[in-house]
Amino acid sequence: MIGIECRALTKKFMKGETTITPLDSLDLVIEPGSFLALMGPSGSGKTTLLNLIAGIDRPTSGELLVDGLDIAHLSRSRLARWRAEKVGYIFQLYHLVPVLTAYENVELPLLIHPLSRKERHARVQRALELAGIADRHDHYPRQLSGGQEQRVAIARAIVADPPLLLADEPTGDLDRESSTAILKLLRKLSEDLGKTLLVVTHDIATTDYAQATLHLEKGRLVTEPGEEQRHA
Amino acid sequence: MRGLPFDYATRNLGRSPGRLAGALVGSTLVTLLVIASASFIRGMGASLDPPAGNSNVIFLGAGSEESVERSEIRMQAADVVGTISGLRTRLGQPFISPEVHIGLAVRTDPAVPEGRLTPLRGVRPSAFLVHSEVQITEGRAPVAGANELLVGGLVSGQLGVPDARLGLGEVLHIDGREWRIVGRMRAPRTVIDAEIWIPLTDLQVIAQRDNLSCVIATLVPGEADITDAEILAAQRLDLELAVMTESEYYATLSRFYAPVRAMVLATALLVALGGILGGLNTMVAAFASRVREVGTLQVIGYPRRAIILSFLQESWIISSCGALVAGALGWAVLDGVAVRFSMGAFGLIVDAPVLAIGVGAGLGLGLLGALPPTIHCLRLPVGQALKS
Repeated sequence: MIGIECRALTKKFMKGETTITPLDSLDLVIEPGSFLALMGPSGSGKTTLLNLIAGIDRPTSGELLVDGLDIAHLSRSRLARWRAEKVGYIFQLYHLVPVLTAYENVELPLLIHPLSRKERHARVQRALELAGIADRHDHYPRQLSGGQEQRVAIARAIVADPPLLLADEPTGDLDRESSTAILKLLRKLSEDLGKTLLVVTHDIATTDYAQATLHLEKGRLVTEPGEEQRHA
Repeated sequence: MRGLPFDYATRNLGRSPGRLAGALVGSTLVTLLVIASASFIRGMGASLDPPAGNSNVIFLGAGSEESVERSEIRMQAADVVGTISGLRTRLGQPFISPEVHIGLAVRTDPAVPEGRLTPLRGVRPSAFLVHSEVQITEGRAPVAGANELLVGGLVSGQLGVPDARLGLGEVLHIDGREWRIVGRMRAPRTVIDAEIWIPLTDLQVIAQRDNLSCVIATLVPGEADITDAEILAAQRLDLELAVMTESEYYATLSRFYAPVRAMVLATALLVALGGILGGLNTMVAAFASRVREVGTLQVIGYPRRAIILSFLQESWIISSCGALVAGALGWAVLDGVAVRFSMGAFGLIVDAPVLAIGVGAGLGLGLLGALPPTIHCLRLPVGQALKS
């Protein structure tokens, strides 16, 4: 399990001559093994925070400790290796590789690691079964429904057994029935596998499945002044 | 840390069959052009290189050192050259070849008003001693006064007719008369391969001249050298002779045609540059549609070098296929094809070095065409790439 600690975390960027601050001195502690929903209006900094925690982006200032490691100062190649080992990322639009089958998409993160073909096969099978999509393993993304594609994406996110799962609007492109199934699956993964799970969402239903919900507004957590947020 | 599977690169090729076909055709054409250019330069260079170990000297008219066709020397020169000690002989026959070189219109069909300018060489039988690279492959040498010809291997290309049209017994029309082909000769990779040989006196009659273009003699290395020939030329000022080794003569010709080779090379480079730009355009379009996928791969944990390598694999698969097809086509279609230049011809040479240059250039184009768009594609921050 993995914990996350943000101290005065700030992200700024320039848009034309205007400085945009999607995250503004954010203080936050996420306990290991927790399942949190991160909500807020568009532009409140949800995806920015998720990308910083995933090591996809770098903060302008402040500290970001993931499992005690300050990832903001890792080199690009070390960050890639760290992501391969620690992070599973689930996208709103699944982002499956269209020329690979469901099985091969799920296998993709394992090819980075020195595993035997047999071991890879066992892990991919298990991930597909956990995600409830094993029967579609030889289908290409174009042959799957949105809900099925998201299950494959979830299997891909968990196949390397990363302790941290990050999901950006995982139900944003799904119908209600598929959304519910995906949310149940995410909660099951959190409970059964002990993953730390942070889900960015606009979907209020997500809060029913998460252990806690964080609200961001203008780059800050909506909370009492001066009080550090500690969650789950 | 391992890279992306090779399957990923190969399957991506099938994403857009039209684009794949375009890239394949482009790669093949560019490689083929490089092979054609290299074979042109190599063929022209080889035809202007005298055979290895050549110890021939050429006596020409003073002031005509750069063109044997313009040279005129007296008939008497052949006898004078025979006085050099150290000339090669066989059974008492000295290796001296008095020759007339002239370009004349040769017609395969008398109904055609204009023939094609073709190099003719008037020779005596001793020419076969001096030009040891010449081999009669069919028939025999022509006999004087019988309207007979000996035809080189590239003459068909020169005349623009199938080689079978120049078989033994076939007739060519020169100076309004019929001339029968009695022999075929080969002198691969020399200018002689594009020539028609005719008895010396017959050609003098056609050309209405009673002099020679040159006298070529073979020296015995160690017994005579160019200095002996120069001394002779200097002593016989009345003959107005210039002398040079055959190697020097062809080196002069080679220098004369250097701008042509440079132009061919420049054309090939320009087309190759066009090929690179075309390749860049194709690859930019192919990779631009996958920016989000590249972002995803980076999020999964693939380092940039793994993605670059995979993209280069894709490009190299295409350029390798193009290079192989072009290599096979070049070898099958271009090798030996006669190319007319000035009033002669030479054969394109598609050999191992030419193929290596062509295939190497094709693969290089694959690399140059793919690297910038790959880097461009990866330059985008991952977060932005995911939103692409």
